[in-house]
Amino acid sequence: MSDRISRRRWLLGTATLTGASPRAPATATPGQRAGKAALQIASNCEMCFWRCGILAKLQQGKVTRLEGNPQHPLTQGRLCARGNAGHFTLYDPDRLKRPQLRVGARGEGRFREISWDEALDWLAARLMELKQKYGPESVAFFPHGVGSSFFATLMKAYGTPNSAEPSFAQCRGPRDVGYALTFGRPLGSPEPLDLAAARAIVLIGSHLGENVFTSQITQFAEGLARGAKLIVVDPRFSTAASKADWWLPIRPGTDIALLLAWMNVILSEGLEDKAYLAAYATGLDELREHVRRFTLEWASRETELPAGLIRETARAMAAAKPAVVIHPGRHVSWYGDDTQRARAMAILTALLGAWGRKGGILLPTPMPRGQFELPPFPEPKRGRADGAGSRFPLASEEQGVTNGLVEATLTGQPYPIKAWIVYGQNVLESLPQRERTLAAIGRLELMVVVDILPVEQTLYADLVLPEATYLERYDPPHIVESAARPFITVRQPVVSPLYDSRPGWWIARELARRLGLQAWFPWRTPDEHLAKIIEPLGISLTELKARGAVSFEGRPYIELRRPEDGPLFPTDSGKIELYSKLLKELGHDPLPVYRPPSDPPPGWLRLLYGRAPVHSFARSQNNALLAGLMPENAVWISPVAARSFGLRDGERVVLENQDGQKSLPLLLRTTPGIRPDCAFMAHGFGLRAPGLRRANGRGASDNALLSRVAVDPLTGATGMHVNFVRPLPAEED
Amino acid sequence: MARYAMVTDLMRCVGCEACTAACSAEWDVPPGHARTRVLPSGPVGEFPKLRAAFYVAQCNHCDRPPCVGACPSGATFQGPDGIVKIDPNLCIGCGYCVPACPYEARYLNPVTQKVDKCDFCAPRLERGQAPACATTCPAHAKFFGDLEDPNSEVYRLVYGRGAQRVETDQVKIGPNVYYLGARGEADLVREKFPPHPPRIPSAGQWWERVFKPMAFLMAGATFLGQAIAFFTQLSKGESQFDE
Repeated sequence: MSDRISRRRWLLGTATLTGASPRAPATATPGQRAGKAALQIASNCEMCFWRCGILAKLQQGKVTRLEGNPQHPLTQGRLCARGNAGHFTLYDPDRLKRPQLRVGARGEGRFREISWDEALDWLAARLMELKQKYGPESVAFFPHGVGSSFFATLMKAYGTPNSAEPSFAQCRGPRDVGYALTFGRPLGSPEPLDLAAARAIVLIGSHLGENVFTSQITQFAEGLARGAKLIVVDPRFSTAASKADWWLPIRPGTDIALLLAWMNVILSEGLEDKAYLAAYATGLDELREHVRRFTLEWASRETELPAGLIRETARAMAAAKPAVVIHPGRHVSWYGDDTQRARAMAILTALLGAWGRKGGILLPTPMPRGQFELPPFPEPKRGRADGAGSRFPLASEEQGVTNGLVEATLTGQPYPIKAWIVYGQNVLESLPQRERTLAAIGRLELMVVVDILPVEQTLYADLVLPEATYLERYDPPHIVESAARPFITVRQPVVSPLYDSRPGWWIARELARRLGLQAWFPWRTPDEHLAKIIEPLGISLTELKARGAVSFEGRPYIELRRPEDGPLFPTDSGKIELYSKLLKELGHDPLPVYRPPSDPPPGWLRLLYGRAPVHSFARSQNNALLAGLMPENAVWISPVAARSFGLRDGERVVLENQDGQKSLPLLLRTTPGIRPDCAFMAHGFGLRAPGLRRANGRGASDNALLSRVAVDPLTGATGMHVNFVRPLPAEED
Repeated sequence: MARYAMVTDLMRCVGCEACTAACSAEWDVPPGHARTRVLPSGPVGEFPKLRAAFYVAQCNHCDRPPCVGACPSGATFQGPDGIVKIDPNLCIGCGYCVPACPYEARYLNPVTQKVDKCDFCAPRLERGQAPACATTCPAHAKFFGDLEDPNSEVYRLVYGRGAQRVETDQVKIGPNVYYLGARGEADLVREKFPPHPPRIPSAGQWWERVFKPMAFLMAGATFLGQAIAFFTQLSKGESQFDE
């Protein structure tokens, strides 16, 4: 079968569309301008942050279908369940519809609907007041997603350095720091993994399949179909484990022991990529000396994996070198030593010669982007309050440490934080230690939430601003350098904003105008903004908007590099740093060291959590189509554990953690596919938000059970696999 | 003529339900129902020697479809290309075909009160597009095409790579959805999700759910027609007939 016909038809449709009047108002959608000619509009998805290419099909001004955009170089017309269901969020009747000002107590949920003028005037006045009273640094910003960049500009112009997104300290921060320490570059997102060409794939806790990023799944399945060997390290028999040649049901928290033993086998048997290491790496002797004592027998005791299995998998990796993808993971804030675990994974990748090699990790190809000439941002009088760059020396100052801002809000140290502006994330589900988050909110003089749905945090806001969804707004283009072919994709509105919602760019710019900061927003329309960014790329705005994505020649492998691509390994030494002098200088382990985790006491299980393929974070549970596929979560435990608790498969239970926190009731599922010392549940359920009529109170929230964290001293990331739970019959509650 | 078939590669399938979502969005399937479903076997065996697979279930467009015979109104029929379809204008929503399908591929749509199921996205095929599920599948696990065309991918997968049908000794009705799996995934699916023998309604059920409502409907229609004729005549008077 071929979709060539439809593609041609689509090009025709968009050609008409983009040739339409340029004098249309800035907020008008392409659909409106083109009238009936608009059959499909290309954009990119925001159901998660992978931003796959979509084609929105319209009938009488309504989105009837979202399909994959075949022009997108990574996703090539494919879409996951969430991408297919995006318009059910657009047309969700529970959406936030108008700006609301709180009239009741925080958390009570009583609001007065107000106009945008009133809302923005009010907010601007409050921000001016806070700036005068406490300084601009007292305002903290919690962004997430590509749309947040306009607010980021606004916050910088306002004068606060305090911005932090959970994608760092609750997710991939330690990974990017660990790999940057070793190779000089973070991995970024989407992860540049050459899975389709790999001859061995190693997943350490990465549950591809349950965790779905469309193109990563495409390439994973392609790699397996071409015969790649698969090694899966996971205490749970995940979907990926069911496809593995070797499943290693590891004792949780002992991954570094396994990684050190793998290195020991590879180095002691001389299986490393010698030429590659000689050419590009430094610190091999120190590493060799370091791993000598981490024997198979030692690792076998720590990990509870057979020594033979560890040796066999090490040899399998080495046999496939350099076409080996050690998946760096994504949500990796587990045990508080996560940067060191990432380092161990990066070092193993280097031993196999896989960085910058076909079938391994791809190198980014730089893409130029145009910039407006902005006035210099004011220099904040006080440094960051979250500890990024100071208390947490290697935390990204671009992405910040969310929990550091919560801490500062609670303690008033190093200085008081008086206001939070939250955009595109739900702090009560994205940050652990929910009670602390709530206590911090209680101390605020101002809390503003920009969101599309009445999620729980809106109940605590003084002002709620309803944003347009990704299908109704322009966002900055997504420029991806870390791919075999670097590319740019656009986000453009496919319908006008419903209700009284507004695009983020409009909200930020209107606020800037009221704060006298309009100089940082020197563009009149989204098209003007987009045109400036793509200026150096040599592509036309019309073409980009019609196609939705345009890719360029890439140089992902070492042998293809050109001088203009910059240094191969932008570390201090210009080489791969197996041994890290920087870590040594900071007083940390220059080579990864294993520290045993504390096991759950008898009668308790370690709480593990992960993704379900049809949901994203805690943001998709109210989507009618997706809720139909998975309305609530369940907790997996082994039949052995169930017997010890006197529980049976299919019962409803509540989970209680070590601090006495209890979850909402959820279904108990017994399965041989999990170690008897663990419990597993999908993240994002058990939402306590009456406004989400479909999702409210369905299932249980793992986040509500994460009252304990192990903080990574290098990045400030919150290790969250350190909580213990026990299931109790639901009736008891 | 063609013989359309679907091959699902269970080694590639990760059970992400993109197919179900695309299908439900394409065909307005109400929540809780599906034209194509992904059923996990779950881990089978003893820890740590386990295996698992996903059964991607849909209408099999069988060579000998029992649903066609079970349909009292003639709404369910098979086209010359092998696609089993339902004519919604003829479907009376009796639901007989639902248990007649050994693969549980049919459901009674509570909104339309008609039976619904996969038709290989026939309207998309007419537009030259592949079925929605195969088009969206992130794992490229679904292959659609003509089994009578030796150049098609499905021909190669069925006759070259040995894609299998989910059949048992009891139920052999020639399904045209095939499954591939390098690790015995198809065997596991057959073991966990065997087709059940077609359940054809008894004479009593026939009377209760088909004949009686149809008889009432017809009697009602006769009465209504009479009434309309009567009142029409009454309002128009009799003069027209005199002419």
